[in-house]
Parts: sequence; C-alpha cells; structure tokens
Amino acid sequence: MADRCNEPSRRGFLKAAGTATLATTATGSVAGCLGGNDETDDGGSGGGTLRYGRSAHSATLDPQNTTSGEVSKVTNQIYDGLINFQPGEAAITESLATDWSMEGTSVSLTLREGVQFDDGTEFTAADFIATYRRFTDEEYEYYFEDRSAYGSFTLGNWIDSVEADGDYSLNITLTQPYAPFLRNLAMFASVVLSADDIESGFDFDTDANGTGPFQLSELDDANGRIQLTRNSNYWGDGPQVDQVLFVERGQNSTRAQALVEDELDIIDNLDPSTISTVEDADSAAIVNGQGINIGYLGFNQSQVEAFRDKRVRQAISYAIDTQSIVEEVYDGIATQAGQPCPPALFGHDDEIEPYGQDLEAAQRLLSEAGYGDGFSFTLTTFQDARGYNPAPLPTAETIRTNLGEIGIDVEIDDRQFADYLTYLDEGNHDAALAGWYTDNADPDNFYYVLLHPQVSSPEGQDWVDWDTEGYNTSNRTAWANQEYMDLIENAQQTAAQDDRRELYHEAAQIAHDEAPWVYIDYADEIRGVSNRVSDYSVAAIGGPFLHLVSVQ
Amino acid sequence: MVSKRFITKRLLLLGPVLFGVATLVFSILHLSPGDPAVAIAGQRASQEFVEQIRSNLGLNDPLWEQYLRFLRDTLMLDFGQSYQVQRGTAVSSILRNRLPITIELAILGQLAGLAFGLPLGIISAVKQDTVTDHLTRVGALAGISVPIYWSGPLLIVLFAQVLGVLPTSGRISSVYFVEQTTGFILVDTLLNGNIDAFWSAARHLLLPVVVLGIYSMAFISRMMRSSMLEVIRQDYMRTARAKGQGAKITVMKHGLRNAFIPVITIVGIQFGTLLGGSVLTETVFEINGIGTLLVSAIETSDYPVVQSTVLVFAFMYTLVNLVVDVTYSVFDPRIDQ
Repeated sequence: MADRCNEPSRRGFLKAAGTATLATTATGSVAGCLGGNDETDDGGSGGGTLRYGRSAHSATLDPQNTTSGEVSKVTNQIYDGLINFQPGEAAITESLATDWSMEGTSVSLTLREGVQFDDGTEFTAADFIATYRRFTDEEYEYYFEDRSAYGSFTLGNWIDSVEADGDYSLNITLTQPYAPFLRNLAMFASVVLSADDIESGFDFDTDANGTGPFQLSELDDANGRIQLTRNSNYWGDGPQVDQVLFVERGQNSTRAQALVEDELDIIDNLDPSTISTVEDADSAAIVNGQGINIGYLGFNQSQVEAFRDKRVRQAISYAIDTQSIVEEVYDGIATQAGQPCPPALFGHDDEIEPYGQDLEAAQRLLSEAGYGDGFSFTLTTFQDARGYNPAPLPTAETIRTNLGEIGIDVEIDDRQFADYLTYLDEGNHDAALAGWYTDNADPDNFYYVLLHPQVSSPEGQDWVDWDTEGYNTSNRTAWANQEYMDLIENAQQTAAQDDRRELYHEAAQIAHDEAPWVYIDYADEIRGVSNRVSDYSVAAIGGPFLHLVSVQ
Repeated sequence: MVSKRFITKRLLLLGPVLFGVATLVFSILHLSPGDPAVAIAGQRASQEFVEQIRSNLGLNDPLWEQYLRFLRDTLMLDFGQSYQVQRGTAVSSILRNRLPITIELAILGQLAGLAFGLPLGIISAVKQDTVTDHLTRVGALAGISVPIYWSGPLLIVLFAQVLGVLPTSGRISSVYFVEQTTGFILVDTLLNGNIDAFWSAARHLLLPVVVLGIYSMAFISRMMRSSMLEVIRQDYMRTARAKGQGAKITVMKHGLRNAFIPVITIVGIQFGTLLGGSVLTETVFEINGIGTLLVSAIETSDYPVVQSTVLVFAFMYTLVNLVVDVTYSVFDPRIDQ
C-alpha cells in the first residue's frame, strides 16, 4: 500500500492498570511518507508524524463553542490553560500560570512570562481577561453568543470579577468559596485565546492561534483530517514529533484495522470486539488506564411513586447483577461501581462495597415496601455505546431479565442520543441508563453536579418535583436528600483536601445506602497504540499529551 | 432537436417538486423527536441555557413562521449555519465541500456500470440462450439482489482484510494533503501533479465504485439485453442482414442506437439510485460525502444541514431526470412532440 511505510516489527503487548506507558522497540521509519520526518532542530527528538485515529472529526476548533471531547483532543494540543492536568493524573500542574493561591473567594495567579502565541504576539493577563469575557460577559463587545454551556458551568457561575495586576498577575474574586475552581481553570474550555484575535473577528471555528505545543497546519473537513505541526517556540517540554495528524475513522473495526496495518499510531474509543483485533496484532498493543467516569441507572422519583421508597431502590440494586454486566457484557473493560465517585478521585471511599446480587434480599425489601407482587416501569436508554456504557442495549436487556426475577416488569425505551437527552432533560423517564465523564477530575463534579438538585427539598421529603424552578436536570433522579446536600455544599466550600475527603466519604455512604442510582460501572480508558510509539500515557482528564510522545 | 418549450416546461416543474420536498422535509424534521437546542447545549447546560439557544435559533416561534422563514431563506439560497456537524459553518460551504465527493462517486459508479453493463447486455442478447447468456443473466440477478450494506463489507473483508491489497475506508491515504480545486479527488490529485496521491485515491475509490457499479451494471445489462433482443427481431435488422452486412456491424450500427433508448431511461433513474446508494456506500466506506453528512446531521438534529442536503438530493435527482429526458429526445425525436 502506498501509505504503508512501516512494516510491523514485533508483537508488543502491555496491559497495565493505572497510568500506563508504552515503551516498545520498533523498527522502520515513516520517512518518505510525510515531509518533516527528519531530525528536528532541538536535537535528540526523533521527529516524525504521529497519526491519531478517532471516531469523529472535530465539529469546530473553537474551545468555547463545544462540549465535545473530540474537539478538545485537538484544541488541547494548540492552546494552553492557566493550569493543566498532570499527564495521566487527576492532579493539577502549572501551565500559563506558574504559581497560584486561593483563600476564601480570592484567587491570585502569577503568569508565565515570555510565552508567545503562534502569530508571535506575547501572552499577557489581558488575554485571559478577554477570553473570560468572550465566554461569560454579556456586556463585552466581543461576547460570544454561541458559546457552549461551559461558559457558565466552568467560569461564569463562580467568578465575580477578574482583574489584571500588571501583565503577569491576575486577581480573581469568586462568587463563593469554591474548592474545585483551580481545576476548572485546567478544563479544555478554559484555555486562553489571544485578546487580539478575539477583538479582531478571528474565525476560531476554522482557524487557531494558541500557545500550545502544536500549531494548526491543515483543517481538511472533506476527509476528516487535521494536521498540526510542532510549535518550535513552545515554552514547555517537547513536542517530540514534528507533526500530529488526527484522522477520522468512524467505525471501530476500520480504526483498529488501520492501527494494525500501521496506518495509525494511536486509536481511542475501542469496544470489546476491536480490542481483540489489536491484542492479536504484532504491531500494536492495548494500553489501559483508569477512567474517571461512571455508568448508572437513575430512578426518577418525580415520575414513579414506587421509587420514592428507598427499599424499592435498594431491592432493585440487589436484583441487578452489576458484576455480570461488567464482566460479561462489558468484557471486563470496566469495574463494578458502588458509589457516585470513581476510584481515581479522593472523594471515593474504598471501604464501601458495591451491591452484590442477592435476589432474596431484593424480594424481601420489595415485599416490605408493599410491592411484593412487583410493578412495572420503563427504562430509557441511549442506543449507541458510550465510554461509560460500552453496550447500552445488552445492559438494559440484562436489567430486564434480572428484575423479571423479582416480579418487576421492565419495558426498554431506546433512543438516539439527542432525543434521549431531550427526553431526560424534560424528566419524562421513569428510570434511565445514564453516565458521566469528568470535566475537572474533582469529586464535586460527580456529587454536586449529578445528585444535588440545586433547589431545596420540601420538609420531610427527600425528592423534589422535576418542574421545580431552577432544578438541576443533570440530576436524573429528582433525589433531594438534605443531609447529603449539606455535606456536598460544605465540601464544595472547604479548602483542605483532607477535610473534603471526609465529607465526601460520608456523602458516599449516604448515596450508597439511599440508592438513588443503581451504580453500574467505572469504565477503563482504553487505547490501541502502535509499537512505533513511546512515552504515551493514557489520560482520563486533559490531554491527550501528545507533545510528550515519540515515534520511531 | 429538443424544443425550448419542452425544456422550459420541465425546468418550471422543478419549482413545485422542490417546494414539495422542502415542505415534506421541514414537516418530518419538526415532527420527529429530539430538540436541537438540547443537542447543542449538551449535558452540562442548565434549562435557561437551553431555552436561550432555542430562542436564538427561533425554535420558539410558531411553526408556520419558522416554515415561512425557511422557505424565504431557501429561495434566497441562504441555507443557514450548521448547528452541530460543523458548528457555525455556512451550510452552503459544507455542501460545496461534500457534494463533489458524492457526485464523483456516483459518476464513477455509473461509468463502471455502463462500461460493464452495456457489453454484457449486448453479448447476452446476441448469444441468447447460450451458457454465456445464462451466466450473465444469473450474474445480473445476483447484482440486483445484493444490497450495498452486504456487498460493501464483504468486499472490505475480502480485498482489504483477507488479501490486504486495498484500503478499507476514506478517499485517500492520510499522509496526502491535496489542494482542493474541483473537489473531485482524482482530478485534484492530477491537477496537483501528485501521481502517488492519485494512485492512493484511485485505490481508495475502487471498492466503493465497484459496490455502487455492481447494482448499476446488473440493471443496465438486463435492460440492454431485453432491449437488444427486441431490436434484433425488427424488420430493418433483418433487411440489413439480408443485404449482406456483417452481424457485428448490424448490431453495432443499426441495433445499438435503437436499443439504447430504454436504457437511457434506466441510466437516468439509476443515477438517482446511485445518489441514494451513496448514503450507504459512504457510510460503509467512511467517505465524507453528502450521504454521511445527512446521516450525521439527522443524528444530531442539525436542521439546516438535513433540510439543505435533502433539497440538494431532490434537486440533483430531478435535474438528472431532466437531462435523461432531453437525451432521450435526442435519440428519438418523436419524444418531445
């Protein structure tokens, strides 16, 4: 094949829990396939082109115009935030800010000097202020009408004011003490755009000008490709390769095949069947990392009276065999869940065990609640696999079978994702399969966002009406447990991590016992990686950190 | 010659057809479930945020107002901006990028169908009831019966995965970036003088073209066979043979032109089918033409893209039919009377 410039060398197979790094020997070179594969000018780096295969092309290059992870994979290579996540870790590290402090509602940041955007202009505090205002400030002349929901979710809801103290210092005042704030600055949507660009009508959808390790070279929408070239003025380590090529390969099987045939170097979004394709290959290997996500079944207590009784929710939690779902249906690419926060984050309590299948306990609880003869409900699900639920329909089928054993009749209602979201946002579901990927790797992003109603619960009741003004529809359950809510609010405003940990562990126990969800799984992050690639670490948050990767 | 009146009449008919299609697609989109505002806003959005998007997009206006606005904009060739597929990009620009991809595929599929279908049909007719004829007919029947979503993956498995001689997806190897002039990748690679890229594109297009061409070839060969059989029995053919003209010349000179008339109709209708087939072919081979564009737009409730793409499909189908009718009357001047 014209494009097959590198023959497979040897089988390399690495499968490791946690952050894994591939360091394999490979022969051959891509020289001659693409320009720019010569030794690079920083000496020591191998150069070459890294080809990253993914399931969808970027719908935009504007980080403020999307909530899509496909977009952030590319924009994270081009732009920097003030703060970044450590590669493959949930911890944060410096980026365009070199130092920071947060006390109460005051946040001070010292900015890095001597950093340039791709067009040669120097990065200063004014760039962050313009970026922030474009995203959140309706009074600003260059306010972005089509901004994504992250404008308020990430910055707008929490920031009261931002002021520059000279060119390299920022003082931010928050609307309330908010512990996860620094992590929000590390989110892809918070990356810094150039003030000059913002104020000169730059087309951020199709062009890019950042301070990151790579620069936009070609946007080829017709063929689903984006080519980036190394930023030789990059302030940090790397990049090791001269070019990165993002290639769209929609079908999992063709993406895996392309990796195996050395047409791609890294692929993501793998399902169990394509994982085996990569595992069987000599030229590539599967790399596993711990995910920061959760898949669950949420009971809509506003819609179904039976779900307002925690014994019914517990009975269903005991009846569903989540261990089988994880091991059989998901083929072991996930771990069984038992609380809202995944194990990668400090808010997870290792002491809490997942519900194991216990049909006797389930039947007993159901009888105690007065539903001994069973009842029926509809289970809404999306149709296509998502990271936290690699097989939604088989999952729903398993649940139907399991619940049939305790006399509960489940009807499955599967929908396209856009339709599914509308249906859930309107609170029409009885119960739904749902899930969440982390935004900022903070426990608050699970506990508060997904299970706090953001309205107060009526006296003596631990659920709210879905149509309550201001209700947080990301909480798919209408669950409003006051004790839980107090703990989460307290944790949100507590600075010390050890204190927060304790609060979250208490909340985790409540969420486990009260069972507003059936906790199903925490899915692994899985990549297929060619043997040509070294120093690649799977990152569940931020990244992919492609500037650290080398190809041979 | 084709009369101007004939062409004008047919062109005027384009209007009502497109109006009907526009109305239908608008109705279906707005009646089907899925709120584009929710799809745009994503899971992180508050209800107020979704409401704001809905209001910005005019989705809260009465349906008739949205309909009239859509008709007005379409008449002025303003197709709006994509909600989701390529956020904020003008749909006209997306279509300009994607349309040549589909047209190139359909034309190549049609050419492949004609190149193999016509000779096979003629041979089958001339050698009626021989083994060759039977084999051709069985082959044609199989070609018509096999759906693209079956033959596509089958060929991928055979040529790409088992034999490893052809690529499985896309239009060109990911290493080649070709400056887009016409949008037809085979033409653009040649215009760029990049022969390696041209071969890469040709290899990538081979399987999708074969898949599209099989159906077309089967249909054309069947039609050509029966049409030719009918013509062969005509008096003027017998006269030609009686005058001592060779069998080959009789068939090619006198038979072909007359046998061709019904085949042209089929070719026209086939071209429309090929455009429809491109949705499947593009999906199977992951080619970013307007077929895959339509599928992605439907999945994400991207109203402007769905509406415009369907209209473009309808326009092309109608236009091709018009061209067929005109060609038809060139071959048989009685048609436009």
